[in-house]
Amino acid sequence: MADLAVGLLGKVLKNPVMNASGTMGYGVEIEPLWGIEKMGAYVTKGLSLKPHHGNPPPRVFEEKCGMINSIGLHNIGIEAFFNVYMPFFKKKDLPVIINFFGFSEDEYVECARYIKPHRLILALEANLSCPNIKAGGISFGKEPESVYRLIKKIKSVTETPVIAKLTPEVTDIVSIAIAAYEAGADGLTLINTVPAIHVDIENRNISIRGGLSGPLLKPIALKAIRDCSEKVPIPIIGVGGIMDWEDCVAFFMAGARAVQVGTATFLDPYAIPKIIDGLRNYMDKKGYSSINNIIG
Amino acid sequence: MNDFEAEVIRNEQIIKDFFIIEFSLSKPIEAFEPGQFVMIKIPDQRVFLRRPFSIYDLHGDSLSILYKIKGEGTRLLSKAWKGVKTQILGPLGRGFNINIPDIFKPVVIAGGIGIAGVSLLIKKLKNIPDIFYGCTEEMELRLIDHIKSKPVFFATMDGSYGFKGDVITLFERHFQGYNSPIYVFACGPLAMYKSLKEKIPESIHCEVLLEERMACGLGLCFGCVKKTIDEKEPYKRVCKEGPVFDIWQILL
Repeated sequence: MADLAVGLLGKVLKNPVMNASGTMGYGVEIEPLWGIEKMGAYVTKGLSLKPHHGNPPPRVFEEKCGMINSIGLHNIGIEAFFNVYMPFFKKKDLPVIINFFGFSEDEYVECARYIKPHRLILALEANLSCPNIKAGGISFGKEPESVYRLIKKIKSVTETPVIAKLTPEVTDIVSIAIAAYEAGADGLTLINTVPAIHVDIENRNISIRGGLSGPLLKPIALKAIRDCSEKVPIPIIGVGGIMDWEDCVAFFMAGARAVQVGTATFLDPYAIPKIIDGLRNYMDKKGYSSINNIIG
Repeated sequence: MNDFEAEVIRNEQIIKDFFIIEFSLSKPIEAFEPGQFVMIKIPDQRVFLRRPFSIYDLHGDSLSILYKIKGEGTRLLSKAWKGVKTQILGPLGRGFNINIPDIFKPVVIAGGIGIAGVSLLIKKLKNIPDIFYGCTEEMELRLIDHIKSKPVFFATMDGSYGFKGDVITLFERHFQGYNSPIYVFACGPLAMYKSLKEKIPESIHCEVLLEERMACGLGLCFGCVKKTIDEKEPYKRVCKEGPVFDIWQILL
């Protein structure tokens, strides 16, 4: 049987499939359906130094080929996550990627400093789509200079590998990827949701803003991965519109070393285990012994 | 909880815009609580996300949903023919507390399609509840045909049957007459809950079933929240901490 194990950021994961941040709660919620340890790693909901209440409802909007969410970074805070939920992942012996954010450079840095190196903490995934309040609300991830400065600062306070999760809403994602790499990022996650608006024609409401996700993101993500992987030597975790194992294979071929599955889980809560099984069957059928045969 | 393969057995219009759809599930559902819900994959490619529906009736592998056409999802569901196959995830969320002490007289208040959320509760309560049902017109009374054997107080907005006005005003008229303590269960629109909250003292136990747009139904996405009085974490997930909430805990 094909081996799905993949080396990533100095560790070996049993397979290259994870959830996308914010699409699998705090991890415990999926337990009644399937064991979360089936995944290569669990990615936390975006965490911050202090808890965030998030946006008032409604927070999700359906589009014809996807959905827009404006959860507003609702989370219990980094400290509560470690106290309440980390024991669950220790019991499961499942590697965890801590997705985190801040509204200032200091908040990112303090958050990264708080997280002490641990055998199960695979990496810190910095969500760079967050608005920088001091810079008038423009997101950190939109300028190579601000990405470079932020990643450099985060790297200086942690020994845990740092992944930069990039927003696709930029003129040139490759220049952002290069800035993250030059600042010392150990990996990239490509791509975050696409900023979008939902127009409520019933109430003539044009103020609903959020992140678009779903299958239509796949070709956008594939291009970002392909373009960045040609210029940047660090591993790329691909995310955006993956619905099935066929999509995953496309991501690996485009240059991703691992993948994250998000919205697909909302449509089918078994999407991730099905993808893992599908990948294995595909490799067996093609005669690939290792996932490395299709990566890159 | 499971994600069941389901086949449409019947999908009947009861009255204009109101339907009962019955599914045969691949496996029986053993344990569930009245007030819990399921996420149904609408068998039409035009609908992206699943839709949440209260469990209306459930016997082993036979699941029924009472629904009203409100948007594209329910409109397309109403076109699902006998034999159509789909997926149903459930039972989900936290249901009503049916094990209330005997000293309480149960009172069930439902508004319009809200009857879908409390129908099973009425069946499962140990003591026969007083039922207050309000709707816009007499035609909708057909939705409670099956529970007419139990005491029901009716209100119609147009006065075509029973009390003329809203169901909370009707309930208020009876409220002072209760000699023993009551325990209220309600399912209906937000305006009904707001009015109910104003009319009863905080000493009354009252559980209400909420609805909200959902993506996953499992507590994964934090998309379906409702604001509560909890200052530490005000927004609670309707799909996980609910859909049944203590009326005194939520902000309406």
